[in-house]
Amino acid sequence: MRAFALLAMLLAACGGGGGGDGGSTVASGSSGCTGGCAIASPTALSAADVEVILSRAVQEAQARGAGATIAVADRSGNVLAVFRMTGAAATVTVNGGRGVAGGLEGVSIVPSEYAAISKALTGAYLSTEGNAFSTRTASQIVQENFNPRESGAPGGPLFGVQFSSLSCSDVVSPAGVRQGPKGSPLGLAADPGGLPLYKNGTVVGGIGVVANGIYGLDLDIGDIDANTDELVAVAAARGFDAPGDRRADRISVDGRTLRYVDSEAIRANPAAAQATPPATSGALIGVTGYTAGVVTAGVAYSTPASGIRADTNPAFAGLGAFVLVNAGDVNRYPPMPGTDGLLSAAEVTGLLAESLRIANRARAQIRLPLGNRAQVTISVVDTNAAVLGLVRTPDAPVFGIDVSVQKARTALLFSQPTAGASLNAVPRATYLAPPSVSSIGRYVDATRIFLSDPRSLANGTAYSSRAVGNLARPFFPDGLNGNGPGPLSKPYDFWSPFSTGLQLDLVIDKIVANLGVVPSAPCSPLISAANGIQIFPGGVPIYRGGTLIGAIGVSGDGIDQDDMVAFLGLAIAGVALGTGIAHAPAARRADQITGLAGGQLRYVSCPIAPFVDSTATNVCNGI
Amino acid sequence: MGYRLYARLYARLYARLSARLSARVCVRFSARFVATAGVLLCATPLQPAFAQAVPDLVAPQEDSPLERARPQGVPLEPRLPVIDPGQVEPPSPYLQRESFPVPDRWRIMKTLGLLPYKPLDPYNPNALKGDLPVLHKWLGEDWFLNLSAVSDTLFEARRLPTPVGAQSSLNAGSNGTLGRGAQFTFAETAILGFSLIKGNTTFKPPEYEFRVVPVINVNRTQTKEVRAVNINPAAGPDRNDNFVGLQEMFLDVHLRDVSPRYDFDSVRVGVQPFTADFRGFLFIDQPLGVRLFGTRDNNRIQYNAAWLRRLEKDTNSGLNDIGRRPRDDDVFVVNAYRQDTFVPGFTAQGVVLHNRNREGDRGDFYSNNGFLERPAVFGTGRPHNYNVTYVGLNGDGHFGRWNVSASAYYAAGRDSRGMFSGEPARISAWFGAIEVSRDFDWIRLRASGLWASGDRDPYDGKAGGFDAVLENPQFAGADTSYWIRQSVPLIGGGGTALSMRNGVLASLRSSREHGQSNFINPGLHLLGIGADADITPRVRVIGNLNYLEFDNLSSLAVLRNQKLSSNKIGVDVSVGVQYRPYFSQNIVVNASIAALLPGKGLRELYGNAVDSTQYSALLNMLLTF
Repeated sequence: MRAFALLAMLLAACGGGGGGDGGSTVASGSSGCTGGCAIASPTALSAADVEVILSRAVQEAQARGAGATIAVADRSGNVLAVFRMTGAAATVTVNGGRGVAGGLEGVSIVPSEYAAISKALTGAYLSTEGNAFSTRTASQIVQENFNPRESGAPGGPLFGVQFSSLSCSDVVSPAGVRQGPKGSPLGLAADPGGLPLYKNGTVVGGIGVVANGIYGLDLDIGDIDANTDELVAVAAARGFDAPGDRRADRISVDGRTLRYVDSEAIRANPAAAQATPPATSGALIGVTGYTAGVVTAGVAYSTPASGIRADTNPAFAGLGAFVLVNAGDVNRYPPMPGTDGLLSAAEVTGLLAESLRIANRARAQIRLPLGNRAQVTISVVDTNAAVLGLVRTPDAPVFGIDVSVQKARTALLFSQPTAGASLNAVPRATYLAPPSVSSIGRYVDATRIFLSDPRSLANGTAYSSRAVGNLARPFFPDGLNGNGPGPLSKPYDFWSPFSTGLQLDLVIDKIVANLGVVPSAPCSPLISAANGIQIFPGGVPIYRGGTLIGAIGVSGDGIDQDDMVAFLGLAIAGVALGTGIAHAPAARRADQITGLAGGQLRYVSCPIAPFVDSTATNVCNGI
Repeated sequence: MGYRLYARLYARLYARLSARLSARVCVRFSARFVATAGVLLCATPLQPAFAQAVPDLVAPQEDSPLERARPQGVPLEPRLPVIDPGQVEPPSPYLQRESFPVPDRWRIMKTLGLLPYKPLDPYNPNALKGDLPVLHKWLGEDWFLNLSAVSDTLFEARRLPTPVGAQSSLNAGSNGTLGRGAQFTFAETAILGFSLIKGNTTFKPPEYEFRVVPVINVNRTQTKEVRAVNINPAAGPDRNDNFVGLQEMFLDVHLRDVSPRYDFDSVRVGVQPFTADFRGFLFIDQPLGVRLFGTRDNNRIQYNAAWLRRLEKDTNSGLNDIGRRPRDDDVFVVNAYRQDTFVPGFTAQGVVLHNRNREGDRGDFYSNNGFLERPAVFGTGRPHNYNVTYVGLNGDGHFGRWNVSASAYYAAGRDSRGMFSGEPARISAWFGAIEVSRDFDWIRLRASGLWASGDRDPYDGKAGGFDAVLENPQFAGADTSYWIRQSVPLIGGGGTALSMRNGVLASLRSSREHGQSNFINPGLHLLGIGADADITPRVRVIGNLNYLEFDNLSSLAVLRNQKLSSNKIGVDVSVGVQYRPYFSQNIVVNASIAALLPGKGLRELYGNAVDSTQYSALLNMLLTF
């Protein structure tokens, strides 16, 4: 039986997964792609594909009596079209569903097209040839418990990822540049109605639909929703469906399978849709900095035009390294020495290479078929938060590009003895609904009180992004409903995925300021938060002789895997290079802080069954 | 313990009632025939039967002692004894008798002073042990009280794969997922039994029985990681708990006798122990319910027909928690045992059991330790209901010198929502187990095999993994073995365990105490050999060696998002010693030690963390009154 399945898999070309041939459902189809299809035969959405996707969306929305705003993007994040149906609401209201005030909650000035674009990019960015994640998937993994409403369970594995790949990020490409990754106006969306689009088993983009006027999330994953946004997106994606055997509901994280879509009970027949949306149904609209109001074809992922291509650096030969390139096909982040003179280019190269080697052995947590290696983005920053090098594996999810830098910078920021002072210098954040302000310095004070140490954030304690995340949850210890918050989080009554605390407060002003204009970077005046901080695992600081010299961040294929790739990558590179780069001395790490309820913070947590090629475990202990 | 008491009691009551029955039958005959003939009729057919069954019942009657000794109807000649003037005069029939009045015949022996009557001596006649009627002023005649008390003291040391706390750890430098696995448990359980029985003589089932068994448990568990004993890491690595549970509270009414040999029908209502088969493979619990039971064919056939509603358990003691709403889980069961099937000495049994679970409609249920138990943290985690019917054939006994115990089940039904597919799933699963043993003088050698089907594809709409309603198998070493005794958490695979505590199936339930059955599991194969050696009359040594493997890895692979290539769990080696200083069950000391030598499959799941010996060591003392 198993042999048969294997045989079938081997025989299958990169052929399943739809091809825009007119609406046949392939929900149960087999992908056949394991991360190499896009490279073997670069694939993109054509303008005609985009038109028909829009048409199917419009047809389904009409069948539901809904007015929708629909965005289609490619895998690099280029917005290929935004279509607003007649009668569609011009704006959405951000609503986390719990009546929380603060942060982005209650903000009702966000144009619907921004929400639609954010959802389309989320579908494209979270998905790969090995996993198809929707915005509903995102909703499941960013809440205060995972699963949502599972009392006592720690927060979602990607807690905080909603504020990444922001248009204000200095890592995403500037407006007007086609080479990705592109920024998302609201970051990653958790509101159902954003799906990835596939052709020939590989991700070619995403679709985002906004019809119900709410930019929210799904608080109760136990029920089965009939969400208009999602149903319209399902209809639109017909023919470009994610392969059934790659969808989130086939993938488990700590035994919990993920949600893809709740309902596929569409009313219209996608196959019967016209090639373009009926002229009477609405119009393409331009969105400043994103789309000019015309339908464009997508760029094929893995080609220089996509901004992500195979690397030619011999230092990474055989490791399958991919890099980011600019319009001139020049590597944006080749290994280079630190602007502070603390890390050499060779060390950066070594760090990236060893981390790639670990990733290439690591068991992927969110990737199918089983037995695949983890695919990640790895970045190294110096103490000025400059990116000294960035590499990725061929099919790593695109969202991990920005997130890996966020994680590295977060580990850097909090490990710097100047952390408290830097944060205190950041102007307070402004909330719109109701108008109010939130002091950044208050988080510093709260941390010092919480840790019973007035020198916290000034004493050189080494923080990983996991440890920072431990302190940035609405309950402490994480997931213990009813407990008070960690010092970097809002209290639960004021907390939601749209009001996270320090993380959002560092970037909220720029998110709002970028609406309606050509988006610009950085997200924060604080240089180590130039693309925002990140509060889930995968970043650790780098030391030499007890001196902080940078940080490494990893994002892609399971948070424990991210931790392991960064942690072992640094440890092994340190030994291999022999130049003294190393982890923080164990005694200075955040997991040494005493007196906290529940024991020690976690510095890293490397995964169970970490490698596909050995039964070694607890491979990070003793380092 | 219970069985012994019942046997004693039944024996006594049966003897007493036999006499009464003969009288009753006589009256019936008398009514039908003329009064004079009636005496003859009743005397003839009934007396011989009782004379054989109960020899002491036909002891010489007081008014005609010599009649009984007479061989064949030859009249005795009345003869006057020779009067010896030197002798004391015989008592005159017209004088007051020189004897002590006794309240009932049960206490004649006490009056004679031939046996000790100590309240703490269960071996001799004892009003507390149902040997003498009690409370006749309030309850009337023939009520017996039976008190029992058991102290069960357990010390258990074990090493299990134990995760590091997810969000915080007990120790700095815990950079992995697997923590330190050594754990220790102490549990003291006091089982108090109170039975009030109305009955008559020794060999007749009682007419009424009211029984209450409260159980008091105190337990302590020590671990080396947070979140092992409580979901809140702030609760620390250790836990103290205690609970008083109600394991039995029932009224048993003897409905009727259906044969002269006291085949009967009885009904029992309330919280009562129930075991669906010989070895506890399918359902063994103390649920609330109504059970009709009885015997036929001179006790050759025994049957049960019951509706049972499972009670919520206390998390850490496993005792019935009647303070909580009973579970939305009903068991409808019919079974029948037939002795001497195929050969004398072999009992066959058939059982049909329907389990209807509606806990998907109930909302989330968390254990006292804060862990979500229903729905299980597993797959979609969506609530689900199920109906499953088990059809089983069991046998236990011996063919010549070969002892054989075997079980076979097929489970069919429907799960409202497959835990992975989210779609309704058809349950279709198999189970088989056999143990063959043979005695060689003081040693018994055993061979066991067990097969439980595993699910082939979690997403295919079929749930093919066998799971019981609630198992506690006495098989392949039972709680002396590591695999059966310990609950190995599927770390990184959700809130489920590879196997339940005191369970053999790899059923991936959330817990033994609270979990729903789960038919998407890897199944199990077990092959074992063992020996029970009566080294001395006081000391028995039990050894077991079991090879274990999964039937199908697909559910585990999905849960862990891991490609698994080996189904080999490993080899479970265990040795136990049972010491009974007084040759009885009143003081029993059990000690055992077991180790699971990991196979490749277990190593794939837990890595080389399982290379440090995974052991289970128990010291248990049972004191019974």
